[in-house]
Amino acid sequence: MKRFPARLVVLGALSALTLPALAHHSFAMFDFTKTVTITGTVKEFQWTNPHVVLWVNVEGKDPKTPDVWTLEMTSPGNLTRTGWNRKALNPGDKVVVELNPLRNGNLGGALVKVTLTATGQVFSTNLRDMEKPGLK
Amino acid sequence: MNLRKRAVLLAAAVLCLAAPLRAEEKAAGTVNPPPRPADWAAIAKLPDWSGVWTPFISDQDKRIKTDPVPWQPKVAEQIATMVAEEKAGRPKGLFIDCLPEGMPTWMLITHNAFEFLFTPGRVTLLGEMDGNRLRRIYTDGRSHPADPDPTFHGHSIGHWEGDTLVVDTVGVLPQAYLAISEAVGIPNNGDLHVIERIHLTEPDVLHDDLEIIAPHVLTAPWKTTRIYFRQRARKYDIVEGVCLQGFFAERKDNQGNAVFVPIPHADGNPVPQAK
Repeated sequence: MKRFPARLVVLGALSALTLPALAHHSFAMFDFTKTVTITGTVKEFQWTNPHVVLWVNVEGKDPKTPDVWTLEMTSPGNLTRTGWNRKALNPGDKVVVELNPLRNGNLGGALVKVTLTATGQVFSTNLRDMEKPGLK
Repeated sequence: MNLRKRAVLLAAAVLCLAAPLRAEEKAAGTVNPPPRPADWAAIAKLPDWSGVWTPFISDQDKRIKTDPVPWQPKVAEQIATMVAEEKAGRPKGLFIDCLPEGMPTWMLITHNAFEFLFTPGRVTLLGEMDGNRLRRIYTDGRSHPADPDPTFHGHSIGHWEGDTLVVDTVGVLPQAYLAISEAVGIPNNGDLHVIERIHLTEPDVLHDDLEIIAPHVLTAPWKTTRIYFRQRARKYDIVEGVCLQGFFAERKDNQGNAVFVPIPHADGNPVPQAK
């Protein structure tokens, strides 16, 4: 089976408007001036409050043991409102994930956007898309 | 006499019998009387607050600057430290223990939707996130208890002034935070009093004008507003939100039972793999 190498792309400073709106705990441990893109395989997708969590296996230095990235999102209620569902991602799915990385360099971040490689379907997490009434 | 007339007469007779008892009980304030048809009919005349209300998060952030909190000097020092720590990427999560945000913080900083239920004598707010997130606002004319048991959401009584619901809340736990973000806030430290005027400003825009009186942490009442947008599409419906569930993974035990197993957490986050 072909493995997708880790692809890290650090983009420049982003505007403050792209800061995610996430409840329960502050997300200040993530560096919102940086966006990292990783390519890997879904290990587990946990659809629970207060934060939905996605774990992704990414090829690292050791070809036998993948790195495991821990990615946090907002709550199931808010994600449902932005078009997600509890079966949006499943173990084994190949994914490309854009994230704001942890400042301390550990393998984790705040998920910005995930693309399913097989279908091209995209799920994003911007709660500010909901800041108007009467949405469809 | 036709059936309909008989039914009307019967209903009138029942109301005549029930009314004196109801008045006595109401005066004593010891029971919640069964609602009458007129009580339900009165609800139909209230403004329509049905649907799901999503918060205007960008405006919450802006109001920290436009409606500055009159913190007492000693508190302001603590707040400044928290702001600096958060800016430096070391936030002190106020709610990572999953205890409720409580009043008035729920209204101030929530990122999740909520809904209103109108029933005779009461307005109920149902929210998401920290488990049992709800507010009961009694609109049946009762007073606050003389010495209410402190709770996260306090004791709330309300009345309608036209299409505005005026809510008075006391009895909030001193430990409940007066917070302006998930990482910046201070326990109210007791004697908290919140007055709210909740009203529509447009058909689908709701304002909560808050006056927060917190004599142990503020130098003066803090007046601010929070804004919410109405959604009617069903994908916006409120879902169950049990905060503590995130601390557990869904697994099978040795007997094949579906069980929750703790996930290592630090500072409210699942522990990531080290670099």
